[in-house]
Amino acid sequence: MPGWQIFYHELKDENFEIVSVAQDTGGVKDASPWIEKANPEYIALIDQQHLVTKLYSMVNVPTAVWINEQGKIVRPNEVAFVDDRFKSYSHMDSSPYLEAIRDWVAKGARSSFVLSEEELRKRLTPVSPDRLMADAEFSLAEYLFHAGHGTEAIPHFKQAQRLAPDNWNYKRQAWLLSDADRDYGTNFTKEVEKLNGKPYYAPRQMPEPAAKPN
Amino acid sequence: MRTLIRCLGLIFLFSMATEATSQVRRVVIYDDVATELRTPSPFTQSKDLWVTLAELTRSTGFVVKPQGVCRRELCFPLPKQRKADFLEQLGKVTWFNLSEFARLVKQPVAYDEELATWYFGPRPEGQNDYLATLEAPNFTLPDRSGKLHSLSDFRGKKVLLITWASW
Repeated sequence: MPGWQIFYHELKDENFEIVSVAQDTGGVKDASPWIEKANPEYIALIDQQHLVTKLYSMVNVPTAVWINEQGKIVRPNEVAFVDDRFKSYSHMDSSPYLEAIRDWVAKGARSSFVLSEEELRKRLTPVSPDRLMADAEFSLAEYLFHAGHGTEAIPHFKQAQRLAPDNWNYKRQAWLLSDADRDYGTNFTKEVEKLNGKPYYAPRQMPEPAAKPN
Repeated sequence: MRTLIRCLGLIFLFSMATEATSQVRRVVIYDDVATELRTPSPFTQSKDLWVTLAELTRSTGFVVKPQGVCRRELCFPLPKQRKADFLEQLGKVTWFNLSEFARLVKQPVAYDEELATWYFGPRPEGQNDYLATLEAPNFTLPDRSGKLHSLSDFRGKKVLLITWASW
């Protein structure tokens, strides 16, 4: 978050806004210490029900979407790191991505990073009945957890994970609310090891930004 | 013999108690709003959620009308030959099968039997609308002070929407 604050400060007078949304069942209690520490000037929202994950079919964090002045998506879900601290997971440099945002902010629809409607339709896929069911199971689990039924929530978190196996948000959130090894027979480190070299984040499909003269 | 009677009595009391708990507190979550239903359901053997017409409106906003099950301008006609699957008159009370209605409109339902809690998710067309328009789905969420912000508040600006998490 502090990195995004620096980036935002650079572009905030260019008719540009960052809307960050914490995907945290624990709500203000879990998310606000991080927000306080970064003290961002941009918008920092707290999404206790993982609504944005569901609405945009996200599977991981951090995920970014570019939205133009008319409220239309011009680049859908993409991994978005502001620095290279997590490069061992992402296998991607952050700087070309930040350059691409700068290019978009400067050139708008003329930016080569803005996708055509045809390309957007290729990348955005309809929600399957299984995914919708996974969302419902996850939401029921969250409700039960908040109602003081943490143990009863576990089978519903598990069902959500089975129905949406690619969704890391649904796994990591549930594991955090419980003793992952005891209740789920696994944990984040073990699951990442199981990927066996496959990328944890989907690779970005983005042209290289034009090389800048030094 | 006396012990047997006592045992039977205990079993009877126990079954009454479990029956009472399973009937007293049923929870329906619709559009992410939880409503407690207080009318004991006579459909104890069913995993489907049967609600009275008053409870239907209180928990979902839907009203049963001659033309169908309606909320504002939206109306879902019930298939004529299957009306009995949705509506049942018992004495003075008309009951509505909300689970059957969810199947009709392809709405996902998650159910916890032990806690008698039903969660109704959004219909698929609502979730997929943006694929045609490419309009970023709107949402309204609080910041840490509780102030609400909507994505649509930023119309006219370029927005980088980023999710993150503390976990």
